[in-house]
Formats: sequence, structure tokens, C-alpha cells
Amino acid sequence: MEDELSFSDIYGGRLALQRRYYSPSCREFCLSCPRLSLRSLTAVTCSVWLAAYGLFTLCENSMILSAAIFITLIGLLGYLHFVKIDQETLLIIDSLGIQMTSSYASGKESTTFIEMGKVKDVIINEAIYMQKVIYYLCILLNDPMEPNGISQVVPVFPSAKPRLDCLIEVYRSCQEILAPGKATSTSP
Amino acid sequence: MAYRGGGGRRHGPSAAFHPVSPGRLFTCRTPTHNICMVSDFFYPNMGGVESHIYQLSQCLIERGHKVIIVTHAYGNRKGIRYLTKGLKVYYLPLKVMYNQSTATTLFHSLPLLRYIFVRERVTIIHSHSSFSAMAHDALFHAKTMGLRTVFTDHSLFGFADVSSVLTNKLLTVSLCDTNHIICVSYTSKENTVLRAALNPEIVSVIPNAVDPTDFTPDPFRRHDSITIVIVSRLVYRKGTDLLSGIIPELCQKYQDLNFIIGGEGPKRIILEEVRERYQLHDSSKIRVRLLGALEHKDVRNVLVQGHIFLNTSLTEAFCMAIVEAASCGLQVVSTRVGGIPEVLPENLIILCEPSVKSLCEGLEKAISQLKSGVLPAPEKIHNIVKTFYTWRNVAERTEKVYNRVAGETVLPMDKRLERLMSHCGPVTGCIFALLAVFNFLFLTFLRWMTPDSLIDVAIDATGPKGAWINQYPYSRKRGRNKTR
Repeated sequence: MEDELSFSDIYGGRLALQRRYYSPSCREFCLSCPRLSLRSLTAVTCSVWLAAYGLFTLCENSMILSAAIFITLIGLLGYLHFVKIDQETLLIIDSLGIQMTSSYASGKESTTFIEMGKVKDVIINEAIYMQKVIYYLCILLNDPMEPNGISQVVPVFPSAKPRLDCLIEVYRSCQEILAPGKATSTSP
Repeated sequence: MAYRGGGGRRHGPSAAFHPVSPGRLFTCRTPTHNICMVSDFFYPNMGGVESHIYQLSQCLIERGHKVIIVTHAYGNRKGIRYLTKGLKVYYLPLKVMYNQSTATTLFHSLPLLRYIFVRERVTIIHSHSSFSAMAHDALFHAKTMGLRTVFTDHSLFGFADVSSVLTNKLLTVSLCDTNHIICVSYTSKENTVLRAALNPEIVSVIPNAVDPTDFTPDPFRRHDSITIVIVSRLVYRKGTDLLSGIIPELCQKYQDLNFIIGGEGPKRIILEEVRERYQLHDSSKIRVRLLGALEHKDVRNVLVQGHIFLNTSLTEAFCMAIVEAASCGLQVVSTRVGGIPEVLPENLIILCEPSVKSLCEGLEKAISQLKSGVLPAPEKIHNIVKTFYTWRNVAERTEKVYNRVAGETVLPMDKRLERLMSHCGPVTGCIFALLAVFNFLFLTFLRWMTPDSLIDVAIDATGPKGAWINQYPYSRKRGRNKTR
């Protein structure tokens, strides 16, 4: 089963949430941001080059122009390879664990896997982020020393930053797998 | 004012996501408000303002309102925390400048505060303490955003020195367009009205309360011989000079009379002189004991040792000390000054003129009553007094202020500028009117950057749609808040 819903992130940008239900104990959530638009790429490139031309007219050194070209190229590569995340996936398999994958615009993927024994719970929490107070989904990890303690909090979808309605959707589905008995009553 | 709550009431960090039972019924007699308390001073810092905010919020939650608290981060304690009964506290990462008060630029806190006010759907901003820069900032922003404002003043100020002239000017600016002001006593009201040039009609008096469980009598710890306790700062205002006249006179008359004096101050030397001259501290028998400065938590242990509490103040706004003493079951003898006659009923207090002769007569009357056994038992006095100044009553009266404020209109921008310029003098008024315009432009910019519709509405922990469930086992409360 597969369906797709549309949500927005905290800045108002569009996000698409794809849910794939492979089996009752295995679900995948995939949040995709819009790809890098040609318009913003052109805008950034133009502004860097205009600034370079401005500097060039002042000090008349052609090094500046070539530097500007290199800066835009290397900047674009670095941005696509290290910053811009196109898709974030949360795969949750009962009895096995939770896997989080982020795919960068360049195609690079980074994957984290947390085995089920370490997962204490999945919750929605609030945090102060920049000049905002936002909700985020996170995974609580068990503390091996203390039975009730929490050793670490792992945020889910750290770059997409979806809004609360989207988080609730994912949270409910996760709880259905993590705690099947109370799934109907557990909602924020 | 020096009242402190226990430190153990705080709960650890926990998340708000608990089940909401859909059909919860709420019987609300009065409209409920979404209140945001703003002050630089809150727990883990300790003091009178902190416990006032905490106790008031708890009682307001009990009455069905939604209350959140905004303060600045204390060391590692930042982010969002929940206290008992789902009281939500925002510890904002703002820089602390001086004496636990944040720096004020009037602008830098606007984005965060506006975000919080919008996401929590706050309707009334209640700021506390005139020393808190954040409280004034919040008032300023709230008025720009068109929210209703209430301010509680917790302290008395002078008029003469440079620093108070400046703070008074700032207070004038800050309070001239605030909807309502609450003072803790009539003297404080007079002081605030004069300092901030306010219309006295918008100033209410709601006294502080005592936690009666902190001041309980303990008859077994009383001394065998009659003991008079004095707990006050040893300064001129508190009538320490009168005390130095009373002590020798009564000690000569009654051989089994003792004094315990708690407190520190410049007039301590007078009492030491008296003690030397009349030899009241022989090694075998200490008649007059000077304890020096007391921590607030020790006050009760000193009070319960005595039979009679003596207050010799020459001027007093609202004397908490005599309420605390009466709550500990002591017979109170006090001067009839300021607001003291209003504090306790006549059968619990012996009022005298502020003179040595009158106070001695009052004390003798108390001693003879004590010897003949007509005084009520300490437990009985405690039970009467504990009904007088309760936080529930304070919350009830504060609620009335909120109801009144909710019916008022907030001044629109043009009226506000007019008020600022006409009330605060030509120079200050114009400067602050300009700042108000800038603040409004900044707010418009923020609204354009992140429209209100993009801000998620927070899930209420308290109030009519509160999601907080008390009986939830503590181990199930999960989560840790982070500031990134």
C-alpha cells in the first residue's frame, strides 16, 4: 500500500510525505523537499557575479572574476553534496529496528540504523530553534546503565523540519508499530 | 516579600504528549484566559517574586486557566520544561546582563516572544517585577501586538537618587499604556502611582500570601520562661531604637523574661550596648540573644521558640512578618503604623503607639494574658490565620483583574503614540514613540517573514483543553528538551 500526502515545513515550503506499508510490522515514511529550483540558482549566481563585477570595477584585477567563477562552482558542488537534502526516509520494522536515510541532492546517501533493543520510544518534542519554537519528532534511546534513563535523543527529519500535522501523522503510525495495543488512544 | 517556596516542587523535564480524553467536561463559571507570565526571575533562582509567580500560576491552573511562564535560561536549564500540573516554562536563550536580569535592546527578544505569544494563543501578558528587563520588553512587544497587559510591582523605590529617577522614568514609559497594574500593598500602590504618574484607578492591590504549611506552630520547642521574639532588619525604619528602650525596662520588671532577636543591620550596635550596660548576657543565663542575619528557611525555627512576637516598625507597607509569626501561633504585639492595623484582626494582635511606654504596656498586657492562660493555643491561632492570606485568594483576585482587563480595549497605534508623547515628557516620550514605531515595523517584517498561519499552535498542557493528566505515572513522562 502506498499513499502520498502534501504538507509544509516550518518555513512554508512544500513537503511531500510518502507512506509505504509493506506489512503490518514494517512501514516506510519518505519526506521529499522540492528540488533545487533553477530560479534560486540563477539568483545566487547572478548576485555573486554582480558583486564580483562591482569589485572588479573598483580594483581592476581580473583575479576577482575567475575567483567568482570558482567560488560559484565549488559552492554549488559543496551545497549539493553536503547541505541540500532532497529526501529523508524513516523505515521502521518491528522487532528489527529503525533506519533513517538522508539522500543529498548529489545522490550521496547517509544511513543510520538503530536496533529495536535500544529504542525506548518515539515522541514529539518542542525545542527552541533559531528564533522559533518548533516541534520535532525524535527517538529516545535506552540508557544501558539505568533502566528508566534516556541516554540520547535522536531527531528524525532534521533537515526537512515538517510541521506538527505531518509529525502527528508519522508519530501515530510509529506508535501503531511500537505499541500496537494502545495505538488508538495514543495521540498528542 | 521575602517569602520562599520549597525547592522540591519542580519536576524533571517531560514531554507534553499525553492522551487527551475527548469528552472531558469543564465547568467554567468565568471565561478562561490564556495567561503568559513573563519575568527574568523564576526558579531555579530563589526569592519572593519567583515563588509568587509559581504559586499564583499553580492556583490559576487550578481555576481552569491556561498559564505559561517565560523566563531566561539559567545555565544548563534552557528550552521548554514542564512543572507540576503541566505548568509550561520557556527558558529562552537570552543573555543575562546584571543581577539575573537580561539586557534590554527592546528589539532582540521580539521574534521569539512573538512566536511564543502566537503559538500559545496568549491573550493576557502578565509581567512581574520592575527590575526585570524582560518583563518590560514583553509589555512593550505585547502592546505592539495588541495584546492585553498586566504588570505586578513587587518593590518600593525612592525618588531622590539618580538611579531611581532613571528607573522611575522607564517605569512611567512602560506603564503609561499598560492595561492594569497590581501592587502588593497600599503603600506600594501609592509609591507606584507617584513614581509612574499613573491613574490610581487602574492600580489594584493584591497582597502577597503566606504558605501556611511553612509556618506551623511547635509548642514543644518553646522555652520554659517567657520569650519575646523579634525578627526584623535592625534599622531605623524598623524601630530598633524603641527596642533598646524596651529591653532594659522589661528585663528589670520580669526576671524570667528572655529576648531572641533575629536580623542584622546598622542598629545592632545599639542593642549590643544595651546588653553590655545592663549585663543581660551573663554566661549562666543569656537574657538577650542576638542571632544575626537569618535565612528565610530558619525564620520558622526561631519563631516557634517564643511566646510573643514584637514588631516595632515605624513605617510598614504590609507586614508579612507578623502574619508569619501569628501563623506560628505567637501573640503579636505591634506598633500601629501604616497598613499594619489591616493585616490581622484585633484579637490576634495588640496594637500600641510607637513609643517605649506604650509598647511596654502592650507587652505587659500580653505577658499577663500569657501567665493567666487566656491566650488561645498556638494551634488554634494557626488555624485561624492560615485562612487569611492564601494563594487561592490571591489567584481569585488576580482573576478578577484579568476579567476586567479582558473587557478593555488595547490602545491602537496612533493613540498609543499620543499617550506616550503626552505622558512621558517631550524628550523621552518622542524617543519611545519612535522606538514603538520601529518595533511595529519590525513586527510587520516578522509577520511577512513568518506569517501567523505558519506557526503551529501549541498543544495546551493546562487550561480548558489541557492535555496534562496528573495520574500519569512519572516514569512515563518522557523526553528531554534541547536548545539548538
